[in-house]
Amino acid sequence: MSKVSVNLSVNGSQHEVWVFPNDLLLDVLHDELGLADVRYGCGEGVCGTCTVQLDGEPVSACLLFAVQVTGREITTVRGLLGEDDSLHPIQECFLRHGGAQCGFCTPGMILTAHSLAERANRPSRAEIRYELVGNLCRCTGYTKILDAVEEYVDSRPSEGA
Amino acid sequence: MTLETEAVERFRVVGGSPAHHDFVDKVKGSLLYAADWKLPGMLHGKVVRSAVAPGRMVSVDIQEARAIPGVVAVLTAQDVPSNRVVEHASGGLGELTVEMPVLAHDRVRYVGEPVAVVAAVSAEIAEQAAELVAVDYADLPGVFDAEQALREDAPRVHEDGNVLVNWRLSSGDVEAGLAEADVVVEGEYRSQHVEHAYLEPEAGVGWIENGVLTLRVSTQVIEHVTDIAAILELPENKVRVIASYMGGGFGGKEDMTVEPYLALLVWHTKRPVRMIWDRQESMLASTKRHPFVMRYRTGVRRDGTILAQHVDIIGDAGAYPCLSARVLFAGAALSCGPYRTPNASIRSRAVFTNNVPTSAFRGFGAMQVVFGYESQMDRIAERLGLPADEVRRRNFLARGDFIPTGESLETAVAVPETLDRALSRLGERGEPSGPTKRVGRGFACGMQPYGRTIWFYDRASAWLSLLGDGTLLIRTGVTDLGAGQAASLCQIASEILGVALDDISIYIGDTALNPPAGGTFATRQLYMSGNALLTAARELVDRIAPVAAELLDCPADALVFQDGLVRVGKGERLGTGLSLAELVKECGDRGVSTAHLSTWRAEAGTFDPSTGKGGSFPDYTYGTHAADVEVDVETGEVVVLRYVASHDVGRAINPVRVEGQIQGGAMQGLGYALLEDIVLEEGNNVSTLFANYLIPNALDMPDIEVEIVESGEGKGPLGARGIGEPPIAPCAAAIANAITDAIGRRPSRLPMTPERVLELLAEEDQ
Amino acid sequence: MVCAPFEYVRAGTFDEAVGVLIEHGEDAQLLAGGQSLVPMLALRLARPTVLVDINDIGALPPEADGAVLPLPTLTRHRVLLDSPVVAREVPLLADCVRHIGNVRVRNRGTVGGSMAHADPTGEIACVALTLDAQVVAHGPAGRRTIGARDFFVTYLTTALEPAEVLAEVRFPVLRPGQGWSFQEMVRRVSDFAVVAVSASVDLEPDGATVRAIDVALAGVADRPVLAEREALAPLLGTTAARDLVASAARSVADATSPEGDVHASGAYRRRLVDVLTRRAITEALDRAREGSIAA
Ligand SMILES: Cc1cc2nc3c(=O)[nH]c(=O)nc-3n(C[C@H](O)[C@H](O)[C@H](O)COP(=O)(O)OP(=O)(O)OC[C@H]3O[C@@H](n4cnc5c(N)ncnc54)[C@H](O)[C@@H]3O)c2cc1C
Ligand code: FES
Ligand code: FES
Repeated sequence: MSKVSVNLSVNGSQHEVWVFPNDLLLDVLHDELGLADVRYGCGEGVCGTCTVQLDGEPVSACLLFAVQVTGREITTVRGLLGEDDSLHPIQECFLRHGGAQCGFCTPGMILTAHSLAERANRPSRAEIRYELVGNLCRCTGYTKILDAVEEYVDSRPSEGA
Repeated sequence: MTLETEAVERFRVVGGSPAHHDFVDKVKGSLLYAADWKLPGMLHGKVVRSAVAPGRMVSVDIQEARAIPGVVAVLTAQDVPSNRVVEHASGGLGELTVEMPVLAHDRVRYVGEPVAVVAAVSAEIAEQAAELVAVDYADLPGVFDAEQALREDAPRVHEDGNVLVNWRLSSGDVEAGLAEADVVVEGEYRSQHVEHAYLEPEAGVGWIENGVLTLRVSTQVIEHVTDIAAILELPENKVRVIASYMGGGFGGKEDMTVEPYLALLVWHTKRPVRMIWDRQESMLASTKRHPFVMRYRTGVRRDGTILAQHVDIIGDAGAYPCLSARVLFAGAALSCGPYRTPNASIRSRAVFTNNVPTSAFRGFGAMQVVFGYESQMDRIAERLGLPADEVRRRNFLARGDFIPTGESLETAVAVPETLDRALSRLGERGEPSGPTKRVGRGFACGMQPYGRTIWFYDRASAWLSLLGDGTLLIRTGVTDLGAGQAASLCQIASEILGVALDDISIYIGDTALNPPAGGTFATRQLYMSGNALLTAARELVDRIAPVAAELLDCPADALVFQDGLVRVGKGERLGTGLSLAELVKECGDRGVSTAHLSTWRAEAGTFDPSTGKGGSFPDYTYGTHAADVEVDVETGEVVVLRYVASHDVGRAINPVRVEGQIQGGAMQGLGYALLEDIVLEEGNNVSTLFANYLIPNALDMPDIEVEIVESGEGKGPLGARGIGEPPIAPCAAAIANAITDAIGRRPSRLPMTPERVLELLAEEDQ
Repeated sequence: MVCAPFEYVRAGTFDEAVGVLIEHGEDAQLLAGGQSLVPMLALRLARPTVLVDINDIGALPPEADGAVLPLPTLTRHRVLLDSPVVAREVPLLADCVRHIGNVRVRNRGTVGGSMAHADPTGEIACVALTLDAQVVAHGPAGRRTIGARDFFVTYLTTALEPAEVLAEVRFPVLRPGQGWSFQEMVRRVSDFAVVAVSASVDLEPDGATVRAIDVALAGVADRPVLAEREALAPLLGTTAARDLVASAARSVADATSPEGDVHASGAYRRRLVDVLTRRAITEALDRAREGSIAA
């Protein structure tokens, strides 16, 4: 097996990286591109700490090979930050509500919630819960995460209202 | 008891919920955890683990593994300079002395026990090499159940026997008490192996710097530096441990995890090495919560007064001691809960088996027993036809009352307030949602220690320095589990010194640079380091205030440190002030240091294992949880409809974080109650997939509603009590009591799976 | 967690994919959504030396073709859940997808992958059995159709030949007088089912008499299975009175012999089959009756 070159578009920047076909997107983002906000938690698609947005929709980076995503747009939680490194409003909500404790689940949680908010028009708390089932958190008991996401989605202008 | 609400209002920073810089990094995703460091030339380490147990190791062949290109080291027991870890968890009070090898040499005692360790240039090659380490085992008879391990003829896990420790506590005369009782209620309760399941698997990076072996790992206890030095036979000052912020620990990073393996590989290869345990590896071989078998016999008067209680606890320690002796002690000491028990006889044994070792886990033995004593309390109420809360109220401990170790309680017991708050928050009961549904309500009270057992002479140090520009630097060896340990210290410092939170930097968890604070466990960090920091800050104020007083021409006690200024707070000169930066300069001119180190010592005491009398814990945190559940009588499924958790936290240093601790702890407790189970079949773990070990997700459980009581009575800084562990404790009992209320049958085994609930219902049909 | 090495090939058409399968035989494996395959690779439970990524083949949005809804193999679970066409034409399928995994799984996982993976607890497979969907296989000699009821062989094994690629799954669209229900029990929401039951009932034009009834079960055998015909037969030609439904459900359960695992014993699973089958038939009947009234 030899390495192949892939072009990864991550958080708006282009990267050419040489990878083995069996290199998981997770490991390439984390170890090669230094995106420590994409994390290994289980490798089974269960926990959600490796969540990235692929063309805006959450996927498990532990279940994709880097060679698969050439030409697709990948967003990690850092990609939500403003130009000057300022927090995105959804990050502000997490901060304000104590939605992060140890913080290990936080990037995945935020990315999943963020894409829901982009897609759905003011989802209810129940819909937010349903969307977040695949992002496990062992610290918060979810209540403050749900509060944070709820505040964020409620703060957005509703469509066609 | 009085609620010191005025006191609460006095604080400026404490009692607010500011977000600290580490939380900003967390929402940005920029906090670097243990797996996030990469060094030039770094190797990848992998532990080779036994696939069978128990077994005698006939041969270990590393040739094939060693031969793979890219493999740099394959180490076995013979490569470990001092191949043992000796744990004296009880502080030497009567437990067996049993060595745990770093790498197994002649026999393996549990499936997953480390037998070799590999370093290679890539994780893939390390994994491949690990697969090729060939170990031949000869089967040995094993024992996989703690009760069976107690039998005379049981296979011995260790030569000296299977009982690691046998604690006995007693007070009064139990037999007389039982004889006097109108009713004696008996119960047997069983709990399961549980996994911490922090989202961050065990990980670390090690390297050698200036001849010092340095490890940056996810650990609760940097003080293991001495164990690591002993294993490598290095001087203690040639090993340095840095703790990264943890992605959760919950007790699972209290024992060493990757440290000895990483240290060995770094020392042998002289290259940086990273080791990350696979999730499945962590599920297989990391320590677990002790399954308990608890037998209770409680004698009560007709009016519900407890006269006597007999408690027998057996805890499965697994194959090695770890912290089992102390866990079983906590179980024993807290086994009667927040109730006056004039006559008590308690036996608590930690028993070796060939199961995965068990050790520290949030709640630390004192949580398992809540399921026992709170099920007993409901049973007593049922038997006597009294309301469940009434029976408890008649027996609640109060300040000055004695617990079975013979100690009297020094602070207020606000458990009645928590009970009132929890029940009134639940309000009216709901109706079942369908014909096959039954609703029920239950609650449970609990009492959990905070701080280490007092015979350990616990202490913690903190150093702080006001810098020339008025900013503050804090250095202390605490580790941060993710619960805001570092942030709370900043808040306390800000409160006393008047430095804005944004102007405080804190350095934690480093044996080389920071004064030792002791590990983050036993809900001790706020209590210990919080007090150390509070002391340091106050002493620093005492040292520099006279300089300010001189400059401002006022008495020192008129000064207020606030908003980066020292101002005159009363009297003639009211309103004048100077900035901290100016004060630091003036101090410098006068040779007054603005840096200060303090060490705070917890109260100390002794315990006599032969009489079961003496000191145990510094203090306790009390609480009540209450739940409404709905049971589907056809499938046995239990849905938690509402859940309220109320605790007396003494003082909420940061209310949002306190609530977060309570919600997170309660959620773990609900997982423990209903979902989580490490299933071992003859010692083989069949729940190693994260998909198979069911920690609650966002849909499984309701919001945890929190009722905070602030008695101001804690022994922590500013009257705080520890809240890290207590909220996990009452959940299983509260849910069990609610299920009993719904279906008229009492669960006595955890987790309360739908299948088990259905079995209970089937009994009823007979 | 590192997958063993493999060669990676992208196939943009079914013919290309088949070509690679012919060339490499058993050593090659197709990669669709990867939500089942990649964990198996990472855990080294599967070790193909060639991985054939078929994602480039793509899938057009679902569109009914007469009485059939043909779903291209790469139709993602997400599409099934969100598509108004699927909700209207095969509501049972849309409904079952709610139970599949989490949003990340649904964003990648495919209908063909689910069928080909043949997990004994798979919801889509269960629905395909109930509705007697047809699987279109693309092989060296062109296409052939395999009935879903002949498709699942045993644990993670199907009737596909080694060089065949699943191209399409064809679901019959909802008929007048047809009612449906999907019932599932899980230990933790979003996990694989402990037991799932999917049911379809067709009523005679009178809106009351049962003309046909089909029930499939997940989580009770080495593959998703159809409920015993004899067990359901007593309902045919009747108005399916409650006690008749209950006894049919019990017979369905009695005919199964599920094994236990970490989540539930065999006996408990059988009990669930009984309860969930009764609930599924009851709900399917209610829907069929309502539909008949509305029609
Ligand atoms: C956390 C998690 C939870 C899940 N929960 C559920 C659940 O509740 N219910 C459920 O049903 N599934 C569940 N899944 C599995 C998910 O639905 C999978 O996506 C699905 O089973 C397989 O689809 P895939 O497209 O991902 O296939 P892949 O993983 O890519 O492939 C699976 C298998 O099918 C073969 N294959 C794929 N496409 C074809 C084809 N066109 N022709 C021939 N062979 C093919 C592959 O070679 C492989 O052997 C879960 C997965 C995860 C990670
Ligand atoms: S690491 Fe990808 S889901 Fe857990
Ligand atoms: S904050 Fe620790 S896992 Fe969610």
